Amino acid sequence: MKLFDWVVLLLALGGVIFYGLWKARGSNTTDSYLRAGRTMPWYAMALSIMATQASAITFISTTGQAYVDGMRFVQFYLGLPIAMVILSVTAVPVFHRANVYTAYEYLEQRFDSKVRLLVSILFLIQRGLAVGLALSAPAIVLTVILGWSAEATTIVMGVTVVLYTALGGVKAITWTDFYQMLIMMFGLGIALVTAIWLLPADVGFLGALEVAGGAGKINPIVTAFSWNDRYNLWSGIFGGMFLALSYFGCDQSQVQRYLTGSSITQSRLSLLFNGLAKLPMQFVILLTGCVVFAFFTYTQPPLLFQKHAQSQIEKAAEYPELKARYDAAFAKRRAAAGNIAQDKAAYQAAAAEFDAVRKQGSQLAERVLGEKGFNDTNYIFLNFVTTYLPAGLVGLVIAAILAAAMSTISGEINSLATVSIIDVYRRYVNQNADDRHYLWAARIATTFWGIYAVVTAQFARNMGSLVEAVNLLGSLFYGGILGVFVLAMYTKRVGPWAAFLGVIAGETAIFALHFSGMTSFLWYNVIGCLVVIAVGLGLSFVEKKKPA
Amino acid sequence: EPPPILGTWPRLYTAVLLFLAILIALFYWFGQVWS
Repeated sequence: MKLFDWVVLLLALGGVIFYGLWKARGSNTTDSYLRAGRTMPWYAMALSIMATQASAITFISTTGQAYVDGMRFVQFYLGLPIAMVILSVTAVPVFHRANVYTAYEYLEQRFDSKVRLLVSILFLIQRGLAVGLALSAPAIVLTVILGWSAEATTIVMGVTVVLYTALGGVKAITWTDFYQMLIMMFGLGIALVTAIWLLPADVGFLGALEVAGGAGKINPIVTAFSWNDRYNLWSGIFGGMFLALSYFGCDQSQVQRYLTGSSITQSRLSLLFNGLAKLPMQFVILLTGCVVFAFFTYTQPPLLFQKHAQSQIEKAAEYPELKARYDAAFAKRRAAAGNIAQDKAAYQAAAAEFDAVRKQGSQLAERVLGEKGFNDTNYIFLNFVTTYLPAGLVGLVIAAILAAAMSTISGEINSLATVSIIDVYRRYVNQNADDRHYLWAARIATTFWGIYAVVTAQFARNMGSLVEAVNLLGSLFYGGILGVFVLAMYTKRVGPWAAFLGVIAGETAIFALHFSGMTSFLWYNVIGCLVVIAVGLGLSFVEKKKPA
Repeated sequence: EPPPILGTWPRLYTAVLLFLAILIALFYWFGQVWS
């Protein structure tokens, strides 16, 4: 990071935040603070939806994933456009006509208060467990790559987000998200173009595709189905559709983005735009990873991209021998890449040999560092950016990554605060205060959740894989929540007790599946959702109807 | 109210799904050409 990089970084992020606060002036009622008074146009909501979903890890990790594993990760999003169409037909008009602040408020209108409270609590636990992760994950990587203090990074990012989120409410969030998403798209485009520009003159973009493709990196569609693999065409379409229905239809951190729409049409258009733009965006991110792979075929990368691990293994006794083999494997692969058109098999053998040496490097790091499952996937892209991109562009890419982190956190703490105040505080604690009271309660709740996110992020950095386990536990609530919304919108006969017990049964099934390890993570929620629907419908035949 | 383009909502929904089908075909073709 040179001075020019800092100027670009601070101008990009600072300008966006002041713009967001300026757009949000006059948000002084609960309605304008939590729903923007239902005035938002589709393009602002669409980019806000995308910015909330795209976290820093999306950029850092997805590019690295293409480098290591190829483009098949893109299939995870194949079900998303189908889900956007389904939600446009169902959830958008239902929520809009119910005139609600949260998705769970609608559940009380359709069932009763206990169903609403159960699902609200499931949401608060689920989001609460994950909210620190969006801050801690980029901080860990930036610490290693740029030498920033991880504490300072999480605190500065957290305080900045709380400031504009608590002051400006959902209007400030939507407009900062809008420009943060534009910065992300611009930063991503710049990274791809620069990566192509840095390739050797005689290779070019098509040569890069040939090298990456020869190494098996260009595999965006895998047609062979397997239950345990989420990255194939069929898992992507069906599993991905269920996941997108849960996330965009039942998770307040996304639902709140399109509850701000000025009409059903505007909210629908925002979801459909997300359905159109998401896949091409992921494709470009993964393609960038493939070009970086080709770049590192001609320019020798470090054995490990994680600087700290690299410096530690250099002290090991067996390192000189490993390094000699690594240099030889790299030279052999580079020579074979130059001759790929004539002898593809030789290139593929050389690429496999290179991967094997790199794997030995990872195993050495595991022994030296004493941590199991070492991998440096998350460090590949930023290592490339900070080492090879010209001054100014480094600042832009770092700005894009921080923008991704902040836009995700802002949506999450805003939705946690909204559910805390609307579904819990105003419903159970204090029902008869004036509007100004709830507005300030929402501001205080936003600040609380922001501080909570920073504190949990500090813990998360020291707990490593435990955090991912906690995050996974939270995601086990998706199936039950989706099931109850399906019962609410598609059935008329299912009553409150049937729905309540249906959720309990569905979640029991999901946790049983999880702890028995029977099927892959992607399918838990599909099965859980179906259990909720079956139990809810079954019990509806014994539940007495309320007297009309 | 009708959507701003294509006249009716079912037509717009069909267009989104058609776009998805075209993308899947393009991705598949891209993988076939470069592997």
